[in-house]
Amino acid sequence: MMDKEKRMKFSTVWSRWESNAINSPDKDAIVFWRAGEEPFRWNFKELIETANKFSVQLKLNGIKENQVCAIIMRHNKWFYPLYMGVVGIGAIPAVLAYPNPRLHPDKFREGIRGMSHNSGLDWIFSERELEPILSPLLDTGSISGMKFPLEWNIEEEHEDLFEEIIENRKNRKPEDAFLLQHSSGTTGLQKPVLLSNKAVLEHVDNYAESISFSDTDKVASWLPLYHDMGLIAAYHVPLAFGMTSIQIDPFEWVLAPSLLLEAISAEKATLAWLPNFAYNLMADKINDLDLEGVRLDSWRLVINCSEPVRNDSHLRFLNHFGNYGFKESALSACYAMAETTYAITQTEPGRMPKVILADRQKLADGFVELIEDAAKARSCVSSGKLIKGCELRIVDENRADVPKGRVGEIAVSSVSMFDGYRNYPEKTAESLAGGWYYTGDYGFIYQDECYVIGRKKDIIIVAGKNIYPEDIEDTVSKVEGIIPGRVVAFGADDKELGTEVVAVLIESTLEDTGAKKKLKRKILQAGIDNDQNIARVYIVPSRWLIKSSAGKPSRKANKERILVNNDYLVE
Amino acid sequence: MISDRFKQAVLKELKLDDFDIKDETLANQVPGWDSLNHINVIVAIEKEFKVRFKSIEVLKCKNLGDLQKLVDSKISK
Repeated sequence: MMDKEKRMKFSTVWSRWESNAINSPDKDAIVFWRAGEEPFRWNFKELIETANKFSVQLKLNGIKENQVCAIIMRHNKWFYPLYMGVVGIGAIPAVLAYPNPRLHPDKFREGIRGMSHNSGLDWIFSERELEPILSPLLDTGSISGMKFPLEWNIEEEHEDLFEEIIENRKNRKPEDAFLLQHSSGTTGLQKPVLLSNKAVLEHVDNYAESISFSDTDKVASWLPLYHDMGLIAAYHVPLAFGMTSIQIDPFEWVLAPSLLLEAISAEKATLAWLPNFAYNLMADKINDLDLEGVRLDSWRLVINCSEPVRNDSHLRFLNHFGNYGFKESALSACYAMAETTYAITQTEPGRMPKVILADRQKLADGFVELIEDAAKARSCVSSGKLIKGCELRIVDENRADVPKGRVGEIAVSSVSMFDGYRNYPEKTAESLAGGWYYTGDYGFIYQDECYVIGRKKDIIIVAGKNIYPEDIEDTVSKVEGIIPGRVVAFGADDKELGTEVVAVLIESTLEDTGAKKKLKRKILQAGIDNDQNIARVYIVPSRWLIKSSAGKPSRKANKERILVNNDYLVE
Repeated sequence: MISDRFKQAVLKELKLDDFDIKDETLANQVPGWDSLNHINVIVAIEKEFKVRFKSIEVLKCKNLGDLQKLVDSKISK
């Protein structure tokens, strides 16, 4: 692996990739892992050569520097050189989620239309299959056109064009925009974060140091590349360091989670990142049939991120996979967000994240007090110490620092921080001030380590995916028989799944059990039509909902009230 | 063809009173059968029929008819 001094010579991400292709031409760069098939292997030389071919085709297709190219594709082996080819001409890649089959095309289109407005998408790169869904978008917003790169003949030679591309690359600066990624939010309202070459390079270097990234590392990932954890941690970090990344299609992984373990075992991978729910899912559902011949001894770190970290999930995972060579010391956690490129804190490699028992009631009141009585305690898992180049404060509602031992909002600052959401001044003003990004997460510092315990906003996080309760309430309010404004959506903790599930609370005059069940079915169907899986429906009588002074039902108060008594749950 | 026993196992796991499940029904058309619940439904079917699936076998099933056939093939062994 290149030492720091050498790395510093490369001021753009492309130049780092190019140097890796020169230094380690035959080394695996991307191993594209498919269930039941031989994996496809890109070595560094072939990968950069193919990226160059895509760069030429992109130029031929009229794509210009600094234009944002939204990539909406299923995971496929061509994705990686295409993404790099976009970077190679100085355009800006933005990976967007491939539509879930559940999602109605209108809803998907509506989301992309919103993104084209806020994120300033110039081009859509997709598959022919999505053309009927996406083509109506071409008449609106900023989108100049849609292209189908998988159909291009990339072997066509255009030497003059290639020379021009190489010449232009020499003028690229570290401050130039490199990629666009999206922060949490509903599709269409997600906040676009534009990152420079400098931000990404500094971040991958600092983060790699925090996880002791070395020559012997290999990453394995099923994470979607439209998420910062998949894109930055599992794709850009290894690619920038000339290390191998084994990539699994997320759609295949959810159907067969053992694929990750097969890949780790076969390729002797050392690193992976997972959201908390994946620990429960893998520990509880992967059976011994799928683990025949699997060994996890090579697994050096599995880093828990993007959902609150739960100790119970770690222990389940360790208990289930310990017999297959998985080590306790491989358990790890970090705290990250798209706004700072990725990570802010990381636990020490080789040591299980610290767990402390804090008095639950005191914690709710904003004080951190350790106790021994587990029944009264909340088990809090550390997300580690600050990584290089990052700062963190815990603040009160006036954004003033809270005294030591208190809970507050987490504010962060980083050398790799964004400088505002693209085309979203109002959202930028809400959360960015004086060089600090106010995350909306609640947490505390204990012995120099960061513990994240909740969120300021009511966002529901289901399996790492952020869902705004307003979207669920909007869907449910449109169901026949529902009175708008008498619906509350919230995230209910599901210990078995290791994540939250979506619950809705409805005020209704219905008394008959059959009628309630019928209404529940309609609500679930409405959820399906909008790609929202509603797991629990509570129907409460008139005047049950607690309202705020503004007359709106309070999510927090009603959630607390309903969870005390499950009588109103419609089975 | 989808057997009543198969259908009931799915409905019970997803806490549904009723839903019309046919051979060509896709998992994502059944209320509640999302990526998070997928494995729970598969485990429920395994338990009901006292069979075990490899993930790759389930992955190859394009619809619920294929899944029923997979169950049938395991039972007949």
